[in-house]
Amino acid sequence: MKQDIVGLIYTGERVDELQELTRYRAAAALPMVGRYRLIDFTLSNMIHSKIKNIGIIMQKNYHSLMDHLGSGREWNLHGKRSGLTILPPYMSRENVGVYEGLLDALHTNIGFMRRSVERNIAVSDSNVLYQVDFADVIRQHLDSKADITLLYTKDRNVRRNGRGRYLDIQDGQVTKIEFDPTIPHFENTYVGAFVARRELLIDLVDRAVASGQHHFSRGMLSQMVQDRIYRVGAYECEGRVWVVDSVQTYFQSNMDFLNDTFRAQAFRDDRPVWTKLRDEMPARYIGDSKVSNTLVADGCLIEGTVENSILFRGVVVKPGAVIRNSIIMQDAVISRGAEVENCILDKQVTLRDNVRLIAPRSYPLVVAKNLTI
Amino acid sequence: MEQHKTCVAMLLAGGQGARLGILTRHVAKPAVPFGGKYRIIDFPLSNCVNAGIDTVGVLTQYKPMELNSYIGSGAPWDLDISNGGVFVLPPYSKGEEGEWYSGTANAIYQNISFIKQFNPEYVLILSGDHIYKCDYSEMLNHHIKHEAALTVAVRQVPWEDASRFGLMNTDDQGNIIEFEEKPKNPKSNNASMGVYVFTYDKLRHYLEQDELDPKSENDFGKNIIPTMLNAGEKLVAWNFEGYWKDVGTIESLWDANMDLLSSPAPIDLHDRKWRIYARNVGEPPHYASQKGEIKDALVTEGCEVFGKVIRSVLSADVHVAEEAQVIDAVIMPHAVIGRGAVIRRAIVAEGAQIGEGAVIGGEEGKIAVVGSNTVVPTGYHLKPGEQLGE
Repeated sequence: MKQDIVGLIYTGERVDELQELTRYRAAAALPMVGRYRLIDFTLSNMIHSKIKNIGIIMQKNYHSLMDHLGSGREWNLHGKRSGLTILPPYMSRENVGVYEGLLDALHTNIGFMRRSVERNIAVSDSNVLYQVDFADVIRQHLDSKADITLLYTKDRNVRRNGRGRYLDIQDGQVTKIEFDPTIPHFENTYVGAFVARRELLIDLVDRAVASGQHHFSRGMLSQMVQDRIYRVGAYECEGRVWVVDSVQTYFQSNMDFLNDTFRAQAFRDDRPVWTKLRDEMPARYIGDSKVSNTLVADGCLIEGTVENSILFRGVVVKPGAVIRNSIIMQDAVISRGAEVENCILDKQVTLRDNVRLIAPRSYPLVVAKNLTI
Repeated sequence: MEQHKTCVAMLLAGGQGARLGILTRHVAKPAVPFGGKYRIIDFPLSNCVNAGIDTVGVLTQYKPMELNSYIGSGAPWDLDISNGGVFVLPPYSKGEEGEWYSGTANAIYQNISFIKQFNPEYVLILSGDHIYKCDYSEMLNHHIKHEAALTVAVRQVPWEDASRFGLMNTDDQGNIIEFEEKPKNPKSNNASMGVYVFTYDKLRHYLEQDELDPKSENDFGKNIIPTMLNAGEKLVAWNFEGYWKDVGTIESLWDANMDLLSSPAPIDLHDRKWRIYARNVGEPPHYASQKGEIKDALVTEGCEVFGKVIRSVLSADVHVAEEAQVIDAVIMPHAVIGRGAVIRRAIVAEGAQIGEGAVIGGEEGKIAVVGSNTVVPTGYHLKPGEQLGE
């Protein structure tokens, strides 16, 4: 059944700790789990929640994201009764084209929110992976008579010292929020997604900006929680949640998919994760290939050894090459006798014969796109 | 608005494919999975779009449901365009005289009004049971250059096999002077591939004439080509060199799958300039576990391999449980191979579930086949050459 919800995805997250990986792309466009981009998970989540109209707020380096999303066909968002709206930054009298944060971005795109006809709106960051049915969130949101309902998780893996937004929740209501605490005091982590009545959100954003606020959570939300004029509800995301905000978390969140349980949680038969297609033949195993505990996308040619790794589409592993604990993005070539360990090889990297790239486990090495070593 | 296309392709996809046994009991032959990711029809369809032919009629008759939904809007092959695209053409009732397609030529005859809409100069006739990569535009250019009424694609087969084919005997200019269907003493080894380019006017003329002959079997090879030869039309042969496989039997379908495993493979599906497109399923990359072993195999996205897979082709979303062995086998989408089961020299069709410890096929002998969605009980033994399924 159709849902009365419009979706909005914000892709302007801080990316400084993702180093080279986000030099030419938004975090939302980060290649994930062998054949996806980070945004696919949020987008698929919304689609499985029967959200038919989705806006995507672009910020910097959005070329690869635009290329990925195209007309939205792969997500069935290209119809007359559904749609994907790309919202690139633009300059105007009030707006210099670069958003300070989510509040700024929402304000700039208030026209999109006004033009939408759905009663409710679901807004999400794009660098988080979680499984939720927004129809359930809206149901709880309405039942609890909340004005805005924040999604949170108790998953300890998303907690970071000095980083993140933590919620104190009493009787289903958010009573305190803390930002980037050295040590978080509350057990609930805000996952960067919320639902609200669309018209109320427009009003809230308008007024927050008018009163000089710049930040959505630090400014607007915090004020709402303090003032207690509005009811700020909370909805718990079940299962594992991943936040991708640094090289380490990028590495770990990918590697977690080697675990059968997490994989089953993220890739359910009834909720496929849609992505842009590339017509590749199945992966080929040739000769003395040895592959263990590894995810392999179509189009790979494997003649060497691969352990505990993720191979994206079209990766070539020559005889005698060894890959361990690494993420190898699309069309990389690992030549004869080359060795890679604890590395993230961006797209189209070539390692020549017998080159060895071995990083410590705790600090994966990122090799930038198109490099030949 | 009058549309005009240089060339329209008509793909004959109506045959039952009886020699594929239980594999085509529920689906038409062109919809049979091949090579892990594809269905047989992906090859002619992809060849069309790669050759620049964007209007394709697919003539269906036998069990068309799965084929229809597979083709859908034609988007996987970029055939969802507004001035052309792919059209599924089942037989339809024409007032009081609706009828099934009585032969290959009759199928085209019954759809002449479809072709007419595009007012083409040439019509390419294809069949839906061959695995090959072919640039039809080269064949079309050959046809145009020689001002032929009909061009027949031929390939040279070993002389000892020639008597199993329809042979096009040519003069030294490449003109066809004689057609022989499976002759005892072949005069040439130019086997027809069942791929034809007709000049549209000639096609229409000879189809109409053929319909008037009550004794005709309405078949291109048996009727249309001999009639055109007798009438003195210019028929030329176009030589196709490259991999071509008729996958009309269990053994040949298995063989063609195994061909993909040799290195280098005789047909390069990695070729980025000539991609074979297919309807994709939204599956994650395949998972090769620590306990499993995969050697000389093709493995498609969505598979989870905890057992042993040797010299085999696994289609999307196949699950191979621990201690199971899949050797020299073709496993079609969504099949589940239970713990400890052994699959050897076999084809396991879509959605089949092989119970724990079951043994399918053997080291030698003919290919064993498990039909689609068949549940094979624990410990069951299916001998080489046997077929199991509804």
